[in-house]
Amino acid sequence: MTSAADIRSVLSVPEPTPGSSQQIKKPVATNKRPQGISRELYELIGDSVPSVVPQQSKARLKLKPNLGSGPPRSRWEWREFRNGARTDGLRLSHWVKAGADPDAAYPFEHYNVVSNPYRYTEEEYAQLLEDPEWSKEETDYLFQMIEDYDSRFLVIHDRYEFPGGVLRSLEDLKDRYYSICRRLVRNRPWNGDESSRSKILGLLAFEKERELTRKQYLRSLENRTPEQIAEEEALYLELKRLEQTERQFKKDRDDLLRTLLGIESGLSDIQLSDDSTLHGLNTMPEIKKSKKRIGSSMEIDSPSTPSNSMIQQRRIPIVKNAAFDAQHCITRIDLPQTTVTKSSHQAAALRSYKIPTPKQAVATKVAQTLSEHGVNSSRLVMPTRENLLHLESLIEATTLLLETKKNVDRVEQDIRFMKAKVLRRDGQLGGEGGEVPMEVDQEAVADDDDVGIHSGRGARKKNARRSMSMSSVDTAAQAGRSNKRQKQG
Amino acid sequence: MATDRVRVRGLSIHRPIIYGNTASLLTEKETSPSGHTHKWTVAVRSAASGPDSDIVGGADDLGYFIKRVTFKLHDTYPNAARNIDKPPFEVSETGWGEFEVNIKIYFVPEAGEKQITLYHHLKLHPWLEGEGSVPPPLEVATKLGPVHSWQYDEIVFNDPFQSFLNILTAHPPTPLPRTSKKPVPYNTANPASLEASRGGVPEFTQAMEKEEAEKLEAAKKAVFMEQERLRLRLHEREKELDLLKQQLGET
Repeated sequence: MTSAADIRSVLSVPEPTPGSSQQIKKPVATNKRPQGISRELYELIGDSVPSVVPQQSKARLKLKPNLGSGPPRSRWEWREFRNGARTDGLRLSHWVKAGADPDAAYPFEHYNVVSNPYRYTEEEYAQLLEDPEWSKEETDYLFQMIEDYDSRFLVIHDRYEFPGGVLRSLEDLKDRYYSICRRLVRNRPWNGDESSRSKILGLLAFEKERELTRKQYLRSLENRTPEQIAEEEALYLELKRLEQTERQFKKDRDDLLRTLLGIESGLSDIQLSDDSTLHGLNTMPEIKKSKKRIGSSMEIDSPSTPSNSMIQQRRIPIVKNAAFDAQHCITRIDLPQTTVTKSSHQAAALRSYKIPTPKQAVATKVAQTLSEHGVNSSRLVMPTRENLLHLESLIEATTLLLETKKNVDRVEQDIRFMKAKVLRRDGQLGGEGGEVPMEVDQEAVADDDDVGIHSGRGARKKNARRSMSMSSVDTAAQAGRSNKRQKQG
Repeated sequence: MATDRVRVRGLSIHRPIIYGNTASLLTEKETSPSGHTHKWTVAVRSAASGPDSDIVGGADDLGYFIKRVTFKLHDTYPNAARNIDKPPFEVSETGWGEFEVNIKIYFVPEAGEKQITLYHHLKLHPWLEGEGSVPPPLEVATKLGPVHSWQYDEIVFNDPFQSFLNILTAHPPTPLPRTSKKPVPYNTANPASLEASRGGVPEFTQAMEKEEAEKLEAAKKAVFMEQERLRLRLHEREKELDLLKQQLGET
């Protein structure tokens, strides 16, 4: 702390009279209390200890790197490893940390992804894949390469050298391969639904002509001269300018029409924003059509063309407002293009009349399932349109559920039956273990399909031994015999 | 105008209504000599209740599209077929038994629609838990207050005539309030609302609708999950079956 005297000397302030200034004098005399630091320094920082003690390290030049003494001291070993992706058993070695698990899988193994290329059999080739330009040997060679090089056509094309063959371009190879694949997919029995099959066919669609033109186009795009580029730019700018002028023109014309024909002319105050000139050109003939449609409530009416006939005022109010509809409880539906007859009119009715009922067969079960979920399927507290839709989809879902349940039960039944047969057959072959199947057989009698029983009988006929019968027709005597066997076995 | 008799296609318009009855016990003085125990009113009204109203619903006058409502009472009533030609469309009577009232609503001629028929079971005795068909004793009934039994529904007009549509749009219905402090009208399809239905004149709200929608949605979700579970199981079982078939096919 600078003493008052120092301040005054610095600022050349005259000595104050006693009492004109209040200086809080610290009860510290200006005796040299601290050692080691000069008096001025002491007065600057006062009694406090310097917060930062200057570190006096030895000269920090050429720091010696701290090798070999770091706490995480790792040791590395040269070890042989197995690459699961290799088929030839070649053992290579690499540096591995000493503590690493010796049997860990080689981390790059899983990158060896093998895609499944299509392969054809001899008959398939003979039936479907004959081609005048491709001999069988060449096609085999191509497919072998595709398998080796994992359908990487650039590589294949580069290394493609069929002895005695013509020069094949990349598109030729691709064309041959994809046409073969498409034919195979179409003609092989397909395990799935048609949509997935058509999806795969879509994946395999390859058109040589289109590819060639596309590549040619890209090439020409790349090789444009600077003049051509400049010309294209200029054309583009011109196009934009034309669009803008057209938009302006349209706007002006609409304003004019509105002032001429008055507010009631049916033109809306909202304007379409064109994204492109072509779009703008196309909307003209469509506008008239859209005027005639009663239309969805959110549709924006586009301004009509100034045709010779005045804009027809339809008596049907074209309501553009969803709020209006909601207020008046109006629902609009898309019209199917059916002809209108007197009888095609649905009479007025309570909405409750339209509550969906499931089919007779499952009605009771559906009602039971729904009541378990706390839903009364015959009456709604508030039968509004939305709730009715909810109920309808709920009933549909429940019906589906019941069907699935039935299927599951059926399949499980079949499984039990089959298991019984297997065990019994094994039991007969092995000579023991006939106990379990017998009990199971007794249970499974209940409601087997006829098919099951017949096939069971058929299989059993092969075995000469006595066997447990499945059908309830067989007498208990046979059962008695089998039970005896059980006791002996 | 000729165009008025053209039907507006692709458009359906509905009006929410409620129908049902209110019943209250007659005092000692009033019951004799007829032997009737209750007085009741059966009515067809608009679904929204008027503000500070002591009846259920009835905020809108339905006369603009309903010409007449016919209530067919029990045969033991004189003039069992009551025709009400002007609003309010209701019949008030006294009686002692519950029976089914046949309600026919006739629309204004502009609608060009036939009459529609509804049924309502006249409720005199208070709603109780369980399926008790024994009416509760007088003290309990008096304490619980008047009995209300109302059903919400919507009359749907498909492809209405232009003129009728104009009439309807000239009278937009009062929308249901979102919620209400009044009790919830009881419905046998929602037994859980019994407690909430006591203590005053009930009111229909949008909240009731939402609640039902949520209930249906929850049930649908549960059904879907169960369906998924079963489908997986079916898939596994089918694979198992195939395996077994193969096993049996060999040897």
